[in-house]
Parts: sequence; structure tokens; C-alpha cells
Amino acid sequence: MGIVIAVISGKGGVGKTTAAANIGLGIAMNGKKCVVVDFDIGQRNLDMILGLENRVVYDIVQVMDKEVNIKQALIKSKSHDKFYFLAASQTKDKTVLNSKKVKELVDSLKEEFDFVILDSPAGIESGYEHTIEFADAAVVVVNPEVSSIRDADRAIGILDSKSQKVKDGGEVEKYLIINRIEPNMVKRGEMLNSKDILDILNINLLGKVPEDKAVIDASNQGKPIILDKSSKAGQAYFRIASRISGNSIEMVDVESETDGIFKKLTGIFK
Amino acid sequence: MFGFLKKKKSAKIAKDRLTIAIMSDRGQNVDYPFLEDLKKDILAVVKKYTEVKNITIRKEVELELEALSIEIELEK
Repeated sequence: MGIVIAVISGKGGVGKTTAAANIGLGIAMNGKKCVVVDFDIGQRNLDMILGLENRVVYDIVQVMDKEVNIKQALIKSKSHDKFYFLAASQTKDKTVLNSKKVKELVDSLKEEFDFVILDSPAGIESGYEHTIEFADAAVVVVNPEVSSIRDADRAIGILDSKSQKVKDGGEVEKYLIINRIEPNMVKRGEMLNSKDILDILNINLLGKVPEDKAVIDASNQGKPIILDKSSKAGQAYFRIASRISGNSIEMVDVESETDGIFKKLTGIFK
Repeated sequence: MFGFLKKKKSAKIAKDRLTIAIMSDRGQNVDYPFLEDLKKDILAVVKKYTEVKNITIRKEVELELEALSIEIELEK
């Protein structure tokens, strides 16, 4: 039976879809069979980040409505044979979701995969609630910035009251990814550091991802950044995915990693 | 020249502001855990002097101010 993980953030634009794509692929790279599901009905983007937009034939809504079976809708990744993707519907809106349909879908994916990653829509409305409803755990993505952290806290509050696991008397595990850290700003006291963020949100740390321009370059090409092994963000996502896969990987202090004077000097002569 | 010495770092300002904002966000949905006990105690004190019909304690949050309003309804 697989583990279901919802990737959530509250606020949009913090890197949730990028995180879902890279975590999913990274888990497969760690040898586990993994599927990422785009729950952002009407605004699908995970297909673009994964470079699979031309391969989408059937979507999640058609599977839930039993128009097609799940095997027909699953898309196998080009980059890894243990990695699959299920697209959101682009023409419908999130009101088409209901608890019974979502549960059926999640249950059948759990039988097939070691990890089921659900990419939540931004906001805290019904689409979000359906994404977290049957999740075993949640990965919360924030940027070190006030609006992102405040919105994440609201999303966590809803997770703690509306997930099925909590209703059954259990607890949903929650882990934080701090994305787009600017080490130099943190050093100067101009950006919240990870300790402050963890204190405020009262949640465990899963990993820190530094700001990295290579992420845009990767999404332009539809190649998840984790495939770029020389990029700092790619390395950070690989560590995160390895931790989720059950490996103990030491936390790298991304915040104190600044470009040394040597690198700065060579930069001048570029 | 020494302006940087006086200036509070903006990350610290962010932390303080967030702490207050999030506390009040959370507070809107959750009552203080001690409210029921407080109610019992007040009831006991007031009862010493007069008959009480009902006690309502409401939490009110406005900007940075948080207050408890206590309404004691007396028997006529």
C-alpha cells in the first residue's frame, strides 16, 4: 500500500508545482514507484514542468467519471521508468471533484504505487480540501516571506481539521520545504531564516532550497531541475526526495552557503 | 553614518509581525482553553452576592488588541 502525500502551500507562486514534479521524479530516482497527480483542475501546469504536455490524452476527471480507466490516463515519464504522471482537466473547474470520486482514485493509485504525490491548487477552497482529504502526509512549501508563511499557516489549520486521517482520530504528518532562500539576504538579516519560520509554523523541516535561476531555465525546457545535477536547487530537491524515500540525508545549511570571494572574483572576468 | 546601528533588521520585523498575525488568525477559530474554568470561577464569586442567570464570555480581536468581554445576566 503506497503513501499519499499532498503538496500544499496556501499561497500560489511559491514553487508548489515545481516541488511536486521534482519530489516525484526524485523518489523514482531513489528506486520507488511514484506517481504525481495534478489536482489543480482548470489550471494545469504540472504537465509543462515535466515536459509531458504533448502526451496528455486523458485526464483525472475522465478517470474519476469512469470514462476511461486509470491505465489509459497514466503517462510514463521520459526521464525515469518508475515515474508516472496523471494530468488535471483543463476544461472543467474544481467543482467537479467530490469526496467519493477522489477517494476511489487515491485508493486505486495507492495499490499501484509506492508513493502518490498530489499537487494541490493554491488557495484554501474546495479543490484544496479534496487534495488533502485522503492524504497520509503533507509537504508544505513556503518562501521566506510574510504572505507565504501566513497563508501556509491557514492551509495547515485546514489540513488539521478537515483531513480524513484527523477525523478518524489520527494525525497528518507535515513537513516544510523552504523554497527560494537567498543566503546573502538571510546573512544580512533581510530575510527570515529557517529557524524563525519553523518556530512560527511549528512544523518539521524537510529541506531548504536556495533561489536558483536554473529553475526557470529547467521549466522553459520541461526538464525538472533535479535532472541538472550541478544546480543547487536540483541538488536540494534530490536530498528532499531521498529523505521522503526513507534515506537519512544530512541537512545542508543552504543559508550560510554564500558565493565566496573567489567565485565573485572569477565572476568579474566572465 | 551610524544609521545601520539603529535600524532594526527587517527579518526581525517580519518575524514579530508574523507571530502576531498568525496568533490572531489562529485565535479567531480557537477559544482559550481556560474559558470554561474561568466561567465556573466567576459564577462562584458572583453567586456569593446575587443570583446569576447566565454568563457569556466572548473573545474579541481587533488589530493588536485582544479582549475578553464578560456578560453577567442577573436574576430579577
